Parts: sequence; C-alpha cells; structure tokens
Amino acid sequence: MADTSTIVGQTILIKGNLEGDEDLTVQGRIEGAINLSQTLIVEPSGVVKANVSVNNAVVSGIMVGNLTASDSVEITETGRVVGDIKAPRVIIVEGALFKGNVDMGNLEMPRPAPSTTTTRRPSYIPSPPPRRSEPARPIPARPAPPRPPLDEKKPPIAVPKAVVIPPATKETKKVETPAPAASRLSKKKVVVKKKR
Amino acid sequence: MAAEPPGVIGKGISIRGNLSGEGDLIIEGAVEGHISLKNHLTIEETGVVQADIEAERLTIKGEMSGNITASEMVAVLANAKVMGDIKSPVVVIEDGAGFKGNIEMDVPIPDGIL
Amino acid sequence: MANVIGRSIVIDGEISGDEDLVVQGTVKGKISLKQSLFVESSGVVEADIDTQNVEISGSVTGNILASDKVELKSDGRMVGDIKAPRILIADGATFKGNVDMDR
Repeated sequence: MADTSTIVGQTILIKGNLEGDEDLTVQGRIEGAINLSQTLIVEPSGVVKANVSVNNAVVSGIMVGNLTASDSVEITETGRVVGDIKAPRVIIVEGALFKGNVDMGNLEMPRPAPSTTTTRRPSYIPSPPPRRSEPARPIPARPAPPRPPLDEKKPPIAVPKAVVIPPATKETKKVETPAPAASRLSKKKVVVKKKR
Repeated sequence: MAAEPPGVIGKGISIRGNLSGEGDLIIEGAVEGHISLKNHLTIEETGVVQADIEAERLTIKGEMSGNITASEMVAVLANAKVMGDIKSPVVVIEDGAGFKGNIEMDVPIPDGIL
Repeated sequence: MANVIGRSIVIDGEISGDEDLVVQGTVKGKISLKQSLFVESSGVVEADIDTQNVEISGSVTGNILASDKVELKSDGRMVGDIKAPRILIADGATFKGNVDMDR
C-alpha cells in the first residue's frame, strides 16, 4: 500500500514513463506517460505533458494530454487542462480552464417530454420589451405533434412561428384559466360521485 | 433593462420550437428545438431540454442534450445530466454532475511550456 | 522540500534538475542533477548519473560522474565506473568498476 508519497520538485524534469502505487505530487515537469494506482496531484507550478492513467487526479497546474481516472478528476481554479478526460466523476471548479472531451460513461439521457399530472405553478410568459432581440431562426410552420393521451387536460402549445410569444395569444389566456380549470375538475369529481 | 421576474416554463408544459428573448428564463418542463436568450437560462431539476442553446449564462440542474454556446458562463450542477458540446469562457461542473461531450474554454498556455 | 521518488515508483526515462533527489524506488535511464542524489536502501538505479554528490545505500548500475563526492554506504551496491574528486566506500559495500579521481 502507499506508505510513501512521491514529490517531484519545481526544478525537476522527468522525461519518460512513470508508474507506481502511491500518490505523486508534481511541482516540476513530467513528459511522457504516468500510470498510478493512487492520486496524481499537479501543483500550480507543475507541468504535465503526458497521457495519464490514475485513480484520482487533482490538477492545479498545467496538463496537456489524455487523462483517464477510475475514480475522479478535479480541475481546480488554477488548473489549465487540454486533452480528453475519461472518469466517472469530473469536477471543474470556477476559474479552471479546460478544452477537450469529457466522458463520464453512461448517462441516462433526456427522455422525450415527461408525462405530467399537475403543474406546480402556471407558466408565466412576460410581455417582451419594445425592442426585439435578433430574430431566431424560423422553424417550418407546423403545429406541435399530438402528445400522449395523459396530457389531454392541457391543450398542446403550438408555436407556429419562432420568436418571442407575444402577450396577445392563446397562451396568456390559458394562464388565466387555472381557476376555471380547477372548478371544471371539481365538477368532474362531483359527477363521478353522483354516478356511484 | 428593468428587473422583471424571470419567465417560467412550468413542469407540465412541453414546447417544441424556437424560444428566444432578452429576460431570464426558468425551464421546469420540456423544450425541444432551439433556445436563444440574452440573459440567464436555468434548467431546473425537472427540466428536460433537447435543444441547441445560446445564452449569456446557463445553469443546468436537469437534463439537457444539445450544443451550448454561452458568452459568460455555464454551470452544470450535481444531479444534472448533459450531453453535448459546450463553448463558453467559464464552465463549472459540480461533483455528481453527469456530462458527456466537448468543452471548449480559452486555455492560454505559454509558448515556452510545451 | 526534498524530491522523493517513493518505493513503489518506477521511472523509465531521464530525470534532470537543480535540487536534491532521493530515490527509494526504481529509476532506469539517466539522472542529471546540479545537487545531490541519494539512493536509499530500497532504491534501484540503472542509469548513468551526472551530479554534484551521490550517496548510495541501495543499488546502482551505471556510470557516475560527480563534481564533488561519491559515497557508497555499508549497504550500498554498485556496478559501474566512478569519476569524482572524492570517493568514500564504507566497509560492507560492494563495488565493481573503475575509479578515477583525477581532478
């Protein structure tokens, strides 16, 4: 197990392959390849130009190369990383700079619109300011496709043209209907009871 | 600009199309298409967005797939799930967030270093 | 803060720098320092060494060029040539190679 911890000081340059079973703190420069079963710490003065395969990595200096970690990668506010990161946990703190691909493995990806029962609050779409922002790209004029039956309480919102929804449309009127909708619902409940 | 309350797309709302505007916007429902906002867009925990997004600032707590271009900052918070490319001067990814895609921030590396 | 290459570390390549270096692990290749190299008892170095001082308690295979001193401790083992103005070989050390103390 890792009893010792390796430190590569500021003036040290290592060119080649480095592997080991302990933590490694880099304050100087390593070029080549790094393979550790523990944690790589690149301090603010550290420069790593290597492909790295570790358990954890905390980068506060410069790193150029691909980084694979079995546990986590953290780029701190002084870290600058260019390269691809593959790890189940990736943390990029504000101030960090990063360019590359991030792969956290399988994510359950966005499902199509979820079925809904109640809204927490009615949608509120504010009136737009007098000046319009640059026009968004127009989409082909077609109504929204019919949603699954569960949504039949709410009429689908058709957005016929792109751009901000002006106040004087069906939508705002719908916003004003929660009270009547609620009363309609209560009426339905009453009907069910009566049938019984 | 006057401080008006942010727009809200509630949990039960589904939008397919283009959204654009100048105010802040909070998405709790589902949006599919394209979003272009001058200010702050927040995708809440229940939000599901499949769209390319352009905004000044973007905070994601829910699910999103699409490409993001932000002029100021993108924050992917814990429990969020994002798939797509992000181009922004500042990108923050919290521990527990799920992300898959490219991130492009400006990374100045002094010439002598490499 | 001293530089330490820990016990489980294996480096295959070149190390250079302006500080002291302590090797407890394995280094193969080349070591070039402006200060001192300490090869501890667990250390294994298969490299040519160019430093100011070298102190060996472990195993070194390679040639050493030191500007000041080379010291082989009682548990040190070395195979290779040494060129240094001052050399110390303790009782118990093993050494095989040439020694050149010409200044």
